[in-house]
This record gives sequence, structure tokens and C-alpha cells, in this order.
Amino acid sequence: MTGGDVLERVDLDGKAIVVTGGGRGLGRGMAHALSEAGARLMLAARTQSQLDATAEEIRSRGGTVATFAADVTDSTQVNALVAACVREYGRIDVMFANAGGGGGSNAEFWDYPDDAFEQVIATNLKSTFYSCRAASKAMVEQGTGGVLVTTASGTALRGNRGFAYPTAKGGVISLTKSMATMLAGHNIRANCIVPGYVSQNDPKDEQERAQRAQRGTFMPVQRLGEWWELGPLAVFLASEASSYITGETYIIDGGGLAGGLGPIKFRPQHEW
Amino acid sequence: MTKPKSSFFDLAGKRALVIGAEHPHGAAIARAYAEAGADVALAALTADEAVVRTRAVQREVEAMGRKSSTYVMDVMLGKNVEVTMRQIVKEIGGLDIVAACPDLFLAKPIERTSDTEVARVMQANFNSQYFIVRHAAEEFRRLKQPGRIVLTTSVIGERGLPNTTAYAAAAGAVINLVRSAAVEVAPDGIQVNGIALGWMDWMTDRLRPDDEEAQRAVRFTALRRQGRADEVGPLAVYLSSERATRYITGQIFPVDGGLLQHL
Repeated sequence: MTGGDVLERVDLDGKAIVVTGGGRGLGRGMAHALSEAGARLMLAARTQSQLDATAEEIRSRGGTVATFAADVTDSTQVNALVAACVREYGRIDVMFANAGGGGGSNAEFWDYPDDAFEQVIATNLKSTFYSCRAASKAMVEQGTGGVLVTTASGTALRGNRGFAYPTAKGGVISLTKSMATMLAGHNIRANCIVPGYVSQNDPKDEQERAQRAQRGTFMPVQRLGEWWELGPLAVFLASEASSYITGETYIIDGGGLAGGLGPIKFRPQHEW
Repeated sequence: MTKPKSSFFDLAGKRALVIGAEHPHGAAIARAYAEAGADVALAALTADEAVVRTRAVQREVEAMGRKSSTYVMDVMLGKNVEVTMRQIVKEIGGLDIVAACPDLFLAKPIERTSDTEVARVMQANFNSQYFIVRHAAEEFRRLKQPGRIVLTTSVIGERGLPNTTAYAAAAGAVINLVRSAAVEVAPDGIQVNGIALGWMDWMTDRLRPDDEEAQRAVRFTALRRQGRADEVGPLAVYLSSERATRYITGQIFPVDGGLLQHL
């Protein structure tokens, strides 16, 4: 038993996949790649117009996609999202709990308001929990197993001034490991994607392109990531190609987290 | 010296051996052990001016009223570590604590680093500490007593930095040596832990004063300054104290001002 052809194993033919935060940014990038690999998508986000735009792009390339406007910080709406996927495609195979974002407050730590902290935790951590809880329930009821993929952030792995977001994303990494442990017996895998500095869209003009190029010089690979570069990783983690991989954290950051002992141009010279 | 209120850090009556005492961190650990009440034997790594520096540390330890002595140990050779360690144990009448503080830095591009240089960096930084663990454990077992081993390494063993590949690999090897050795010798009552140094104020070999980027690297520490040797000693005492750390083994503790936690 060799597991079959590698290219067959990365095939997502007919898999029913929910992508939260699928209207724009990294979610949109992952949706495109998942569709290209054959998945049937249920895209979710708060803003219907963005969902429509992304869905139209995917349909124009022959993809199968439905949308569901939902606020993923509300568990009732998340449950309805998963139900919508099951209604549309008869099942749910993969949940990309990708929605998240910044916000919070610029206040000093000792003055940081309750509601700002709670908002960031809700947007990034509670939403991920709600999404994975609802998906896993459906997967267990189907008896088919499935895959949960979360999105964290490189900021979660190091200290940072805007602490609420990294704190929430650190929670996402930890949640993913626990889900992998708890759900393995139900044939549900859970893995986490950790993007570094990845742009959310194509630059809108030359000035933005130049700004990004400048910021890119601080990365080992000398550029920022592009919004679509998470796509192949999403396909890999959703597919049978990663059948023995669970509880893991996949960093995609152009080498940023491999370094960090000094500025990018710091190259000690000391010869004998 | 005033008797500390807490006896957790009391090393009175303990016999410690600090190998590489000519280095600032080695000297600082030796002083800290002595301050905590231990007698401290010192080993210089080479029979040159390193011995002079080590003797100066010896005088400081003796001035605190502790016994001290200076030896030379060629840590590049396992046999020399074995023989010298046995001789030291015989002369000081036992052994409770061993701290290893070699540090040979090399920074040059991979493509220009020779076979000999790679081998030497590994030998000086990693093989040396491997031999030290091997023979310290042998002595502790022979004496039928628990023992503490403290290895020192660098945060460069945890992160990539251009031109430091050989040194980084050696430092990383020490980190996993701590973990593996700790698990292997734990049943014999021997504990092995590691101290990982960040940007310290004596490290002009990697932080050249005329290198602007190196000075900026210092600002990557949360505390925004280089560490001092006297900030290493207390951790070594903690990790060597029977009362303070009975249940800690196989761990690496950075003394880096928060450098590894910086984004």
C-alpha cells in the first residue's frame, strides 16, 4: 500500500469546504486554490458584497461555490453556516476557520478597555472555536471524519505591543493542538496555518507596491508574502496528502520567524 | 557575607567545578557558586593566558573564604576530560556540581568555511560539553551521589543568523544534548540543564562596536541592553541547588533580556 499517486491525494474533488473570512484577503486566496483543486465551497463573511465578488471570480473559472453571510462571533450564525453547507452539498468535509482581524485599542496595557479585549478575542478565538465546534459536530454525525484548519499569526509566537491579537492567535494555536488530540478518534484532523507578513490583496497602485517592496526588505526572502500564496498550503492540509498530519503549526513567513536575533542586515563577521 | 534568609540557594559544603572559567560567564558562575557557599575548582581550557585569567578568579573565590584551585582541561579530547576530571575529584575530595562554559565563536559565510573550521567549532562548543557530561556523570555515579550539570549555549542555537551556521549548529546541538542527556541520566539522580546566553556585553566577537547593525541587534532585546556576566551567575546557582531545583531537568533557560521573545 503506497497511498496512491501524490497528485491524486492532493485532489479535493467534490469535497464540501467552508471558508470563513472567505470574501477577501487570505481566505479569498485559499478559496481560489481549494476550488481549483476541485472542492465545492461555502464561503462565509460578514459582507455579502465581498462574498459575491469572490464567488463570481471562482464561478468564472468553473468552480462550485455558494455563500453565506454570517458574523462568526455569533455561534448561532456559525451553526447556521455549517447547516447551510450540509444543506447545499449534503455534507461538510473541511472547515477553514480563517476569519479574524485586528481591532482592539491603542490604549496602554494598564488602561486597556474590557470591550476592546473581548472584541479581539471574539473575532479571532471565539469565532475559531464556534466554527470548529459546529463543523466537528456535523462531521461526527456524518461519521466520515474531516479536517479543521485554523489560521493564527506569526505574532502569536513572539511578544508584541499590540498584545490582544497575538494573545487570541496564541489561543488558536493551542485550541488546534487540543482539537487534534480530542478529535483524532473521530478521524478529524486539525492543523493551523501561521502566516507571517502576507499582503491581503494586490497592491492598488505603484505607491503601495513600492511600500510593500520596502517592507519586504526586512524579510529573509526580501519580499512580503502574497495573498494567494497560502493557497497550496490550504489544499495540502485539506487533502489526503496530509492524512497523517495533525496538531501541527505550519508557518508560512518567508523565513521571518527563523531569524529575529537582529536586523535583517546584521551579518556578524568573525574569523580566526 | 550575610546569611541569606532563604536556604533554597545555599550551596554551603558543595564542591563545584567550573570548566572554561577564563570566559566571563564561566568566571561569573564560579563567583556566584562561591558566594552561595560552594568550594569551586576551576578549569581553564588552554594552558596560556587563560590560566592567568582563571587564577584571578581563583583568588576572588578564595577571598570569599572558599577553597579553590586551578587546572587545565583540554576539552577537545574526551580522554583528557576523563583523566583531568578524575584527578580534580580526587584532589578536592568529591564533586556535586559541574558547569561547562566553553565558547568559540566563528562567523563567516558557509561557502568560505573550511572542513577544519566546522570541525573545530563543533569540537570546541559541542563535543567539549558532550565529554563533560559523559565524565561528570561517570564521576557522580562512581561517587554514588546525585549531581548537577549546567551547560551553557547561545540563543543563536534557537534562531537563524547569517554567517553563524557552524556556531548555530553547535549551539543547537548543545540544546538537544541537555534534553537527551537529562533523560538518560535522570534515574541516577543527575540533573542536566542549560543556560542560553543572548547578546552579552563581552561578546565583541559577534557584536563589534563599529558595526551599526550589531548595535541595532541589541535593541532587539526587550530590555534594550546587553547582558552582564553577573546576570548569569544567579541562574547557575539556582540550577545547581539541591533545594531549589529538585524537579527541574532537561530544560534550557535563556539569559537574553527577552531577545528570543522579540518579534
